[in-house]
Amino acid sequence: MQIILKNLKRYYGDLHAVDDVSLNIPSNTIYGIIGKSGAGKSSLVRLISMLEKPDAGEIYYDDKRIDTLDIKDVIQERRKIGMIFQNFNLFSSRNAEQNIAYPMEICGMDKEHIKKRCAELLEVVGLAGRGDAPISTLSGGQKQRVAIARALACEPEILFCDEATSALDPQTTRAILALIKEIQKKMSLTVVMITHQMEVVRDSCSRVAVLESGQVVEEGKVTDIFANPQSEVTKDFLSNVKISKKDIIRWSKEGGQYRLGFRGGKTDDVVISKVTRDTGAMFNIRAAGIQDVDGEKIGVMIVDIDSEHAEAAIEALIKGGVSVEEIK
Amino acid sequence: MNQQLMNLVMKATGETLTMVSLSTLFSLLLGLPVGVLLHVTSSEEQGGIISNPVLNSVLGRIVNVLRSFPFIILMILLIPLSRAIVGTSIGTKATIVPLSIAAAPFVARIIESALKEVDPGVIQAARAMGSTNWQIIIKVMIPEAMPALVSGITLTIINLIGYSAMAGAIGGGGLGDLAIRYGYQRFRPEYMICCVVIILVLVEVIQVIGNKIAGKMLARR
Repeated sequence: MQIILKNLKRYYGDLHAVDDVSLNIPSNTIYGIIGKSGAGKSSLVRLISMLEKPDAGEIYYDDKRIDTLDIKDVIQERRKIGMIFQNFNLFSSRNAEQNIAYPMEICGMDKEHIKKRCAELLEVVGLAGRGDAPISTLSGGQKQRVAIARALACEPEILFCDEATSALDPQTTRAILALIKEIQKKMSLTVVMITHQMEVVRDSCSRVAVLESGQVVEEGKVTDIFANPQSEVTKDFLSNVKISKKDIIRWSKEGGQYRLGFRGGKTDDVVISKVTRDTGAMFNIRAAGIQDVDGEKIGVMIVDIDSEHAEAAIEALIKGGVSVEEIK
Repeated sequence: MNQQLMNLVMKATGETLTMVSLSTLFSLLLGLPVGVLLHVTSSEEQGGIISNPVLNSVLGRIVNVLRSFPFIILMILLIPLSRAIVGTSIGTKATIVPLSIAAAPFVARIIESALKEVDPGVIQAARAMGSTNWQIIIKVMIPEAMPALVSGITLTIINLIGYSAMAGAIGGGGLGDLAIRYGYQRFRPEYMICCVVIILVLVEVIQVIGNKIAGKMLARR
């Protein structure tokens, strides 16, 4: 299901939590919304998921406008979306299976069907046979798996993930993201992934919107944004991406004036050598590596260029399809 | 031990148990809805799902006034009501009326504070899944708060044992009545001691059972 936001606004007194946001979240993708804490991403997701009403603007699920529905219709509409949270928010008074059963119970499905569906869902999230486990006996990753199963119980078309991996360690985060990706493909879901971790966007999303002070400062394909970030916030996020050791090797801690970005086919080309031959510029490579972003390879190289030829070299690099950014 | 003492004490214990169990039941019936209402109408920051400041403060005032009423005076004030409901103003049956009404506001506050402890994130999740307010209260809030509710109800029962003994002062029946009429007014300390010991044992037993149930509930989570 496609989600369209038009000029959404939500103010809390003087605080413009969501300030004129317009987005088009395409159907059947994983869409990232990234921002620092206080950037308004939680407020935004509360608006899109109908937990709050916007002060102004419009929200559409496909062609259906949902921000003007009355409470009865909102309740019906909420039953068609799934949501998972940073703190899992499972019912401690219920075991794993009863948690998954809850959304089906409130829709009034019959018991036989609920039981069958619970078993199916436990299987999907890799917890088959653990249905009778009390919530407190499960690890963080397992809790999030139960939460995912619960969110999928009524076969939603949209899944909201509100910082779903922020409370998990890196390994568990990867496993949960892999599960979400797998489910997204299997059920053709529209997944909206709210996060403050660029790693999560890199490992799971195909498009991303960068939020700052309630406004969208950058939006596009994740591969484009990783290769060629425009806004300061995005660059800041990217510079903090934790790259696992095997992705980037750094020879020298000091120096490195320029960051070169190579995309797709360019990673196979002999760009640097050509530039050296054509301009006479000397490169000193400080660090280099490749990141896997949404299935595409993005090469990164941190270099010094001798000052005499720097200008000509940069021009030649850009002409050769390499993005160049000066590191301050 | 003399036979008369045994008989009287047994009878009085039975009366106390009847008074306490029935007034617990009625005070729960009165206090539970009020407690739930107090919580759900509180401000959104405090976890109210149908925030209504006017209703909330009116209810809060009524509950506070009733709670701060000295029990012994409340009993006297409620004599006409007891007479209207059970047809008499003395004895075990008549005492159940003021006991229930005195304990109800206490129960309401206990229920309210137990519900406040429920993780707001869980309520948000239930709302996001499309629960109606009624479903949130019945299927989420109350089950999530159950261990705290059980502890609160235990406290209520223990309070009611104390109140029921006080009711003896105006001819309410039960152990308090026996202690006053025989132990105090007829100078027979063995009656007094017997009644006090039984009350202490009752309180202890209720407390242990309450703790056990709440503990079991927590262990299963």
